[in-house]
Amino acid sequence: MAAELMRETWSGEVSVVTIGAAKSEGGTRSAMVKIGGQKTLPFLFAEGAIPHKPVIALEIWDIAPLDWPEESTKPYGQSIKDPLAWAQMCVKEFKAQLLCVRLQGAHPDFGNKSAQQEAEFIKALLKKVDVPLIIKGCGDDEKDNQVLAVCAEAAKGERCLIGSAVQDNYKTLVAAVLADGHNIIAESPIDINIAKQLNILISDMGLPLERIVIDPTIGALGYGLEYAYSIMERARLAALSGDKTVASPFICFIGQEAWRAKEAKVGSADQGIMWEVVTACALIQAGGDILVMRHPKAVEKVNKYIEELFIPR
Amino acid sequence: MDKFKVTFLPENKTIEVAKDTTILSAAISAGVSINSACGGDGVCGKCKVKIKSGKAEQIHLACQSPVHSDLEVEVPPESRLDEKVIELKDLYSASEDIDASKALKDQAFKHSPLSAKFFLKLPKPNLDDSISDLERLYRELRKLQSFPVMQTGLTNIRQLGELLRDSDWQVTVTLGKRNDTVEIVLVEPGDTSGKNYGMAFDIGTTTISGQLVDLNTMQVLGTKASYNKQASFGSDVISRIIYAHEEGGLEKLHSAVIETMNHMIHELTTEHNVDLNDVTCMLCAGNTTMMHLLLSVDPTYIRKEPYVPTANFLPVVRAKEAGVNINPRGLLSCVPGVSSYVGGDTTSGVLSSGLYKEEELSILIDIGTNGEICLGNKDFLVACAASAGPAFEGSGLTCGMRASRGAIQEVKINPKDLKVTPETIGNAKPVGICGSGYIDLIAEMLKAGIIDKAGKIIAENERVRVSDMGKEFVIVDDIVINEADIENLKRAKAAIYSAGAILVKHMGLEMDAVKKIFIAGGFGTSLDVEKAIEIGLLPDLPRKRFKFIGNSSLAGARQIILSVDAQKCADEIARKITYFELSVDPGYMDQYMAALFFPHTDLKRFPTVKF
Repeated sequence: MAAELMRETWSGEVSVVTIGAAKSEGGTRSAMVKIGGQKTLPFLFAEGAIPHKPVIALEIWDIAPLDWPEESTKPYGQSIKDPLAWAQMCVKEFKAQLLCVRLQGAHPDFGNKSAQQEAEFIKALLKKVDVPLIIKGCGDDEKDNQVLAVCAEAAKGERCLIGSAVQDNYKTLVAAVLADGHNIIAESPIDINIAKQLNILISDMGLPLERIVIDPTIGALGYGLEYAYSIMERARLAALSGDKTVASPFICFIGQEAWRAKEAKVGSADQGIMWEVVTACALIQAGGDILVMRHPKAVEKVNKYIEELFIPR
Repeated sequence: MDKFKVTFLPENKTIEVAKDTTILSAAISAGVSINSACGGDGVCGKCKVKIKSGKAEQIHLACQSPVHSDLEVEVPPESRLDEKVIELKDLYSASEDIDASKALKDQAFKHSPLSAKFFLKLPKPNLDDSISDLERLYRELRKLQSFPVMQTGLTNIRQLGELLRDSDWQVTVTLGKRNDTVEIVLVEPGDTSGKNYGMAFDIGTTTISGQLVDLNTMQVLGTKASYNKQASFGSDVISRIIYAHEEGGLEKLHSAVIETMNHMIHELTTEHNVDLNDVTCMLCAGNTTMMHLLLSVDPTYIRKEPYVPTANFLPVVRAKEAGVNINPRGLLSCVPGVSSYVGGDTTSGVLSSGLYKEEELSILIDIGTNGEICLGNKDFLVACAASAGPAFEGSGLTCGMRASRGAIQEVKINPKDLKVTPETIGNAKPVGICGSGYIDLIAEMLKAGIIDKAGKIIAENERVRVSDMGKEFVIVDDIVINEADIENLKRAKAAIYSAGAILVKHMGLEMDAVKKIFIAGGFGTSLDVEKAIEIGLLPDLPRKRFKFIGNSSLAGARQIILSVDAQKCADEIARKITYFELSVDPGYMDQYMAALFFPHTDLKRFPTVKF
């Protein structure tokens, strides 16, 4: 008699988040990106549906990045100094489905651009490219509250993913996202409880849980990857067991972490690329839904990996 | 009976006492403090006094010298209590009357107090009945009751012959239950049997509560509470244990608790016209560290792995040996503890709540600085301790206070205009907020949307101000609650809730299996269970399962002082409780972190709570 495999049946599922609004929905995007919706742990297709593939967003900045290792900027050449050209290159040349733009130039230490300047930039960017957008603040709470609220308004109707809300500073961003029809990134410091609490606080303000994406805060290979992995796994187990408050898809900022690793900056030319690839693949296995990455070659490899995962067996 | 006047110098206080009363007893009745480390055994030599007769002066031990005539007695400085104690004086605040009406009062045990007085009219000896004085005393006592093993201190025997004859064979004997024997604690001339009092104490890390009990009628004459002034040396047991290790630290901690207790005893006896000499025993319940400090026993090893205390079952000693001012030969007994972090206060609470005889699964939650939780029924008892901090006792918060007159104990907030309606204890002008007031306040602030579930103030209103401690919300006049206070309360409630949750989980049970929940704590007259559930302090279970029992530790101490059966029962409880160490449980931190939210990160645990 053949051994029969035990199969788990889950009562919960990951919520589906839609990023980008097409013309029919009042936006100007050429396509929408849907994430989440899993009814099983990563890639156990026999146990439940996995309706949406993990998706990679290429990361761009509104200013020329200062601290990116040379290897990671090489593919973009001179375009890296012109954010709009850089964005267009990502979409046209590297076939990005999704762009993540970090408004680093708004940071008081990195140019201190005004909210108005950033809003103009977002408008121009939305004209230049037609993929859905992730808009990320500069990390300075006070400045982000000013800038992101105005940018959310500038991108009204485009159903962007905007972040990040943190436990001590979420109100302003939630209000803006709610008013202008976007989704939100809820960032927690590798802590499942805070991730849940923040989701509850955000939904308490009226934003549906289906518009929240969790940034669990990740570490690159060799820099705490396993902590992020286990937190994501625990959150996913809770979600599949029916806990809606933690059933949001994950966004993982792979590029920024991988290229901070010492190993990515030294050694052979493709060591950084491989660092990014390995970090991304591991976190895909943990349940990562959006992977924000930097090097087009790394993206290519990870995309291939995703395709292989989805080949029916 | 002959009476004599004794005048103490240099105070020049005079008191009239019966013949053969010791000078030490006379001094206590007069309110003159004389050192007596041995409790009147006549061995320590600390109670030397100068007896003046004309120009001559003679040195005597106050405890060994019966009064035979009018006397002038000078108490030299070296025979007074330690200088160090006096140095600490300014630390003490007056204690206040508290309402203990909510505390359990039923006395389920047979009346047989820790020390009992018997008035005896002994038949005078003659040639046919020539047994010795002491045996005569025993014989007379055994006619009243059967006392298998009796003992008497040498001091009493030395004075007995003269005392019996001087008092015409009519004496009052105080019998104390000392461990497994019965001791003749005291023989006094005449009949004082109508006056026999005891003190029950709950010695908490933050609050000390004391109760004066009439041991004959079982009536409570008065109850007082005061902050434990050891708090000046650290707010939790760990920091006190560390402080005890410093030079003179143990002494200071010991003095602080003893002085607070002496002060309370003095106030209660004065208010109720009770002579300190008639206070013949005391019973103390407290956590293990508090008991060590009470008896000046080094608590160092409580803190070090594997967390072993010097003693859980402490023998009955003389109150004087610990420095407490009651009758110099009066007894001090402690409720036995379970482990280093689950002490006699828990045993006492389990006794008075009746948890140990419940048919159904029950839990006792003592909301104190060292929050103790005991789960069980008549078949088993398991307990753990959660270090919650003093927040629910009103300590360590901007406007916190103990549940006494003027403390805000109830709050209503109108969600529309955020208008606050506070209610104070005694309807007095508000002076601060007590534990139950804080529970109410947080629940109301959540409902009115003033704070979010993480405890951050999110409302924008004229009542919200910015202070050094983050945002604050004005309740009335200068009484505020700020974000740091809320954080403090959130941690305290998380510690208590998660300890209970993990204890239940550890037994392989679900919270819903708990059919009775006894809530203990110094919350004055009220604790709104509904609100306590709303903030996530107590589990979300049907409300009729909850019973607020006030200070259960004090109630247990009172039961034990009034009945030796209760004492035996407490011993059995202490032996029966299985201690569960939270700090080595890897799941506790997880549970605790998840509880740091109002009501809880896992909202499914609080299905009836809606904001």
